[in-house]
Amino acid sequence: MTLGHLRRRRLVSLLAAGVLEGREREETLAHVAECPRCREEHDALRAIVATMETDPLREAEPDVPLAFLVARVEREVGQALVPRGRPRWWLVALPATAAVVAVALLVPSIVARLRPAPRAAHAEIPPAEASPLLTEDALARIERNLAREHAARYLSEAGDVLVAVAATGVDCNRADETLDVGRAPERSRALLERRTMVVRGGGEAVASARGVLDDVELTLREVADLPSCVRRRDVERVRREVEERQLLMRIRLMTRELEG
Amino acid sequence: MQPSQGGEGDRDLMARLAAGDREALTPLMGRHYRRLYRIALSYLRQPDDALDVVQEAFVKAYLSASRWDGSAEAGPWLSRITVNLSIDRWRRNRRRAQTFTPLADGDHAATLADGGPAPDRRLEGREASERLATVLRGLPERQRAVVVLRHYQDLSLEEIAGTLGMSLGTVKSSLHRALRRMREGLEGGRP
Repeated sequence: MTLGHLRRRRLVSLLAAGVLEGREREETLAHVAECPRCREEHDALRAIVATMETDPLREAEPDVPLAFLVARVEREVGQALVPRGRPRWWLVALPATAAVVAVALLVPSIVARLRPAPRAAHAEIPPAEASPLLTEDALARIERNLAREHAARYLSEAGDVLVAVAATGVDCNRADETLDVGRAPERSRALLERRTMVVRGGGEAVASARGVLDDVELTLREVADLPSCVRRRDVERVRREVEERQLLMRIRLMTRELEG
Repeated sequence: MQPSQGGEGDRDLMARLAAGDREALTPLMGRHYRRLYRIALSYLRQPDDALDVVQEAFVKAYLSASRWDGSAEAGPWLSRITVNLSIDRWRRNRRRAQTFTPLADGDHAATLADGGPAPDRRLEGREASERLATVLRGLPERQRAVVVLRHYQDLSLEEIAGTLGMSLGTVKSSLHRALRRMREGLEGGRP
């Protein structure tokens, strides 16, 4: 292939990408019209570009309001701006002071526990510095709603995976009677990875979903260990578990509850 | 580049940020967060990761506002931060993916905003999006950035060069190679 060919191929790509202008564009267009191979190349690349230009991601919107994002950024900025330089004696004095304070707090508490007295109510944590845009309450509400939305989405996706496995009837290999479960194992692994974030990140907001999340996790773990071609009896086992634990119905109900 | 997102307004806001005025964050984010989110999402194809990247980008912008070159537009500067953070995030995810495989892109279609394609077209869009995602993942990091900025952000070659700190020739070569690789990938050849 000569340098001329390489240059032409590059120009054909750039024409398909819609970035050629003026004389270069006219010349390349004329060349493409005369050269069937270049035209085929141009049309194929143009189709790829057209697919990207209609990709729904181009119009995607963040699923959180701007105020929420601003509050998060401000919080991060606030933490990053906390002065870090301290005299070295603090390195010794801080742990020592903490130890003294801990002893001072713990000793009366231990003594109090030995007495039959009613439990003292927990002191309320003082609210953090309020954001000028969003109060702590509003932020907490948004966080809670988001956590519940994430949990609902997680459960819904998990339900899809379980249905895909339980309902598969696609033969992988008729000879050895294996069934195709497609990408269900890898999707299960990805979901399991997200589970920690859903449960820990969600905290109290998703506490009511813990039971369903735990049962879903057990079944997802089984699916995650499967190959993409599975023995019929393994699929049957998953199907039985889904039925016995009434997972699909519970997922549906819990998803509705989480979505409010 | 979108015309409403550059100009004096951004410069003023950046100057205020550089002076430590946190109030300038909101209008600056209001102007750019959707665009930056779409860059990160097109690159990473994971809505949660994309949101984290946008958050990090604005934190970084605030903390390094004093080093911002006042003669430059803020839009490309923010885009550059976002692309670099997306690449960092991508590398971290790839290391993690040695153990786990992320969900396909279509699995996140539900998070797209209302007003997306009609239900009967959604499957088609979703399938196309998945196939695209697969070949995009196969591209080298910088080539993918060039494709994202050109075909998801409609930037000109000059704007891409400015955003990524590349020469115009390198941008052209990258775009050409990326498209050819994508074609090979979509036709079942080695990306």
